[in-house]
Amino acid sequence: MITCPSCGHSNPDGAVNCEACFTPLPIIKNVQCPSCHSTVLSDAKFCGHCGFNLSAVTVSSRDQELNLESGVISPSLDPSTKSFSILPIPIAMSNSLPVENPEGNAVESLAANVTAGGQTLPNHTEEIFVAELSTEPVYVPANVPLSVKTQLQEFTASLLHVQTNLTIEIPPHLPVVHIGKTNTVIPPDIDVSGFPDSDIVSRIHADIRIEGGDFYFEDTGSSNGTYINNSPLPVGNRHKLRAGDRISLGKGDKVSFVFQLNG
Amino acid sequence: MSVNLTCKLSDHYLDSNQVSSQRQLAISVSASASADSNNAPLNLCLVLDHSGSMGGQPLETVKRAARDLVDQMYPQDRISVVGFDHKASVVVENQLVDRIASIKEKIQSLKASGGTCIDDGIKLGLQETSKGKDGTISQIFVLTDGENEHGDNERCFQFSRLATEYNMTLHSLGFGDSWNQDVLERIADAGGGAMAYIPSPEVAGAEFQKLLKRVQAIGLTNANLILQLAPHVRLAELKPIAQVSPDTIELPYQIEGNAIIVRLGDLMTDVERVVLVNLYISPASFISSYPNTPEIPILSAQVRYDIPLQKQINALSPSLEISADLVQDFTPKIVPQVQNHLLALAKYRQTQLAEQKLQQGDRNGAATMLQSAAKTALQMGDHNASTILQNNATRLQEGTLLSEADRKKTRIASKTVLQPPPNP
Repeated sequence: MITCPSCGHSNPDGAVNCEACFTPLPIIKNVQCPSCHSTVLSDAKFCGHCGFNLSAVTVSSRDQELNLESGVISPSLDPSTKSFSILPIPIAMSNSLPVENPEGNAVESLAANVTAGGQTLPNHTEEIFVAELSTEPVYVPANVPLSVKTQLQEFTASLLHVQTNLTIEIPPHLPVVHIGKTNTVIPPDIDVSGFPDSDIVSRIHADIRIEGGDFYFEDTGSSNGTYINNSPLPVGNRHKLRAGDRISLGKGDKVSFVFQLNG
Repeated sequence: MSVNLTCKLSDHYLDSNQVSSQRQLAISVSASASADSNNAPLNLCLVLDHSGSMGGQPLETVKRAARDLVDQMYPQDRISVVGFDHKASVVVENQLVDRIASIKEKIQSLKASGGTCIDDGIKLGLQETSKGKDGTISQIFVLTDGENEHGDNERCFQFSRLATEYNMTLHSLGFGDSWNQDVLERIADAGGGAMAYIPSPEVAGAEFQKLLKRVQAIGLTNANLILQLAPHVRLAELKPIAQVSPDTIELPYQIEGNAIIVRLGDLMTDVERVVLVNLYISPASFISSYPNTPEIPILSAQVRYDIPLQKQINALSPSLEISADLVQDFTPKIVPQVQNHLLALAKYRQTQLAEQKLQQGDRNGAATMLQSAAKTALQMGDHNASTILQNNATRLQEGTLLSEADRKKTRIASKTVLQPPPNP
């Protein structure tokens, strides 16, 4: 239902001109900001999230957007496929996962436990559910040769939690992904409070920044620090993530992730 | 003699992802004049108001205009003249235009007196016209200068509709400023003819000539547009079909089976009638049953018409299939000609809404609406109409009332294109 701004007639969806007075109707749709991929209204002049000048990208924005998107994805696709062929996941984290199956079962039982007692952490159970569901499609290409048919991949990168073998997708279309635990100042996009030993992780611990298709990791002033491939990452420094990088939040390699690019 | 039928979608491409897309289809219909055939003879009836208010110069000018008209006609044409005040009488019986002198004399004998009863005039006009309607193109010009004070407007509209059933066309001419534009417009619209405005006696001759030129160009009569929509296409809910050229008329339609029938009336050889149909297309069902078909059928159009010269009725034109191209990455590609037709209808509708608002006492709303109509006229390149509409909008905003003349001018400005757009 589109109400005509000129005469107030209620037009059905899909109307371009008002049925009563033929005034061109404003077509307001949700579109993606070409810069930060957040949802903005099509009549906006500037993106409310990143301030990108939307009026510079006019009618053909949708085409450009598509190009942009594919442009972002394609460079990140190539290295990932390479890194996958060279460095399959089990090898990448062989040291931390001596036996695969018992660990996997443990994860499942843990997940079940968490869901059973999920009342305490409603947000978190959902996340684990998602993660649990997504483990399967992620693992399939590792065992089976890559399927020939190209599929649209929603997520371009993920973090594999080493201790529980859970995969956490990095939310797409966010320029900055906050990692930490529930708090009121900067709500985390990736909440690690459900993982074992999460008490060593700060509520505002680290960020992943996505710039030009590259992923950068930075510590946002955590209490116990961040370690990339076992060496400390000083506050204010950025580390450009490559597939297979091991990220530990806090000391002692207790909450650790392996950065993965999905092909 | 045959029909020219062309159709154009407002945008030939259709977004296959969108659930429902609005499109306008401009259907242009005209009679194609072949070099060897002339038009059928004209059967013209003048229904002239000679009420007391016409006294003096107005009636004299009208009589002169009528006499000039007779001079312009061909010997095989037929003429009849009906005069009316509060009752109607035959002035010139239906006859061939061969004894010009006696016809003119009878027209000259008209005297101004009495009231106004338009419906009686139209009724008698219909009777006179029907005497010579075989093998001719029957046209009735109704001229009045006042309100239908002794008659019933509803009866006027009924006679107008009756005229179209008898395949006659009623044109209305408003003389001066005290006639009712709503009534005359409805008479002309229902009668399938044009409405003309004679603001001052001097232009009466010119308006008569203009109308005569129009009716002399009529090649085919009783044209009906037959549209058959594809199952995934539906008409807009509100006033989906309107004529936008040569003048703007909301067209009523009938549904017979799965066909939509729209009466167009006469077809001219020099001017094409353009009908704008507002449609919604939902391509989903079509895509699911015919995947990988880039073309989606929209509708088929056909014209049914009479050829008065050959006394042939219900001739059918070849059927025209209209389709759109389905595309994934849709960007609007608006066809400029159709856009102009769209603006013509927008201008008319906006002015109508402004008048409605004015009648409800909402002057600011009316002014705003008139302003958008003026803007629309400007977009069309019709500067004259734009000026008239804008002036009236300004006057409303200043708080002054519109004069009767202004309201008539507004109506004409909305209904026709006062200044054709410059040809590129």
